[in-house]
Amino acid sequence: MIEVKNLKKSFGDNHVLKEINETIHQGEKVVIVGPSGSGKSTFLRCLNLLEVPTSGEIWFEGQNITSKDCNIDKTRQKMGMVFQHFNLFPHLTILHNITLAPVKLKLQTKEEAEKNAMRLLERIGLADKAHTYPAMLSGGQKQRIAIVRALAMNPDVMLFDEPTSALDPEMVGEVLALMKELADDGMTMVVVTHEMGFAREVATRVLFMDGGYIKEQNTPEEFFTNPQDPRLKEFLSKVL
Amino acid sequence: MDFFSNFSNQFYLTFIKDNRYKVFIEGFGNTILIAICATIIGVLIGTLIAIYRVSYAQSDKKNPIKKFINFILTAYVAIIRGTPVVLQIMIMYYLVLVAIKDYAVVIAIIAFGLNSGAYVSEIIRGGILAVDKGQMEAGRSLGLSKSETMKSIIIPQAIKNCLPSLGNEFIAVLKETSVVGYIPVTDLTKASNLITGVTYNAFFPLISVAVAYFILVAGLTALFRKMERKLAQSDRS
Repeated sequence: MIEVKNLKKSFGDNHVLKEINETIHQGEKVVIVGPSGSGKSTFLRCLNLLEVPTSGEIWFEGQNITSKDCNIDKTRQKMGMVFQHFNLFPHLTILHNITLAPVKLKLQTKEEAEKNAMRLLERIGLADKAHTYPAMLSGGQKQRIAIVRALAMNPDVMLFDEPTSALDPEMVGEVLALMKELADDGMTMVVVTHEMGFAREVATRVLFMDGGYIKEQNTPEEFFTNPQDPRLKEFLSKVL
Repeated sequence: MDFFSNFSNQFYLTFIKDNRYKVFIEGFGNTILIAICATIIGVLIGTLIAIYRVSYAQSDKKNPIKKFINFILTAYVAIIRGTPVVLQIMIMYYLVLVAIKDYAVVIAIIAFGLNSGAYVSEIIRGGILAVDKGQMEAGRSLGLSKSETMKSIIIPQAIKNCLPSLGNEFIAVLKETSVVGYIPVTDLTKASNLITGVTYNAFFPLISVAVAYFILVAGLTALFRKMERKLAQSDRS
């Protein structure tokens, strides 16, 4: 579904991604872990071209999205993204946050979009917040709304960029629970996170990034019980 | 008693005799007309320039045409902010727009509009830059184009950010129009001068015109308060 070929990304002299080759298949739940500055967020953001790769190619559903002919706006409609800091639109109500993109892009009429949004809000138990503004919500609620906003576009894959890192510890659970539900529904997911429990429980594959490379990857079982790379061993001994 | 009859006599001379109040009304009308039209032009020009300059600053800056346009816009803002508005009006009237000399009010509107545009562009540019970078990313990640994200997500928040400064600018424009008398336009201030010229008494013309400006500014201030409150609706938590 997503194929990454020889991906490199540098910011000036800072080579963040050095040489990444990776394939993500439909239905996979790939969790990326690694120390700060290892390039995991940059890698994720390259997948929907929020960061433009310095070189290399990214293919999504049979299309080279790094080529000039690709309409990236069209591609992004199929790739939902959830950010560390939620990035809800503070000047719009929750309902409007969710319906804005489908309506503006003429994928749904306003009525359809609102109906769909209400259905999603009911699913996460926040239907009563539809007409309030983001400032009135807790961090966990905001992030769940952000997930729903991405889901409203009916994406084929969801990208999560440290979705629980900005949350109070109490609120991490509700967000992870929603993500797990999503995973159980068969959504293809790529998740950058520090939540090792989530990786262990939900991932089909765990990647370890360090210094701009994918150093090791395995099933969660093997990854956590039988790590090979010395840097990964050191990392796991600190976080587990 | 002497003072009182003198007072009412002056009032009569200033406003009533020869229908002189009509001069004030004409001046009042022109002041408002110029201020409103210039403000509208200023906001339009300012918003467009701000959006262009912000997008250009974030681009790779390689396209020579875009580079040239950016240079022109930067120069425009620098020149307008670097010279007095009264000179700008006179340059417009005596040098640039000589062809439409008979429509001095139109020239005044254009000159003040161009002037305000430069200031508004900087205000809105600041407002756009103050919007969190994540907002653009969130909009783009949903598949919205850059211009659509600007229009639906960034600009509404930018306007809210800079509303207090914009209010300030509108008040400044309204009062700056008082120098328009340097070209043949009768605004409030010019009306006061004209009447003083025939009655040889400056008290009534000056004070009444000052009161008129004050009331206009007070109204504008109240209007902006109301808008700020309305836009602050989404902040309440």
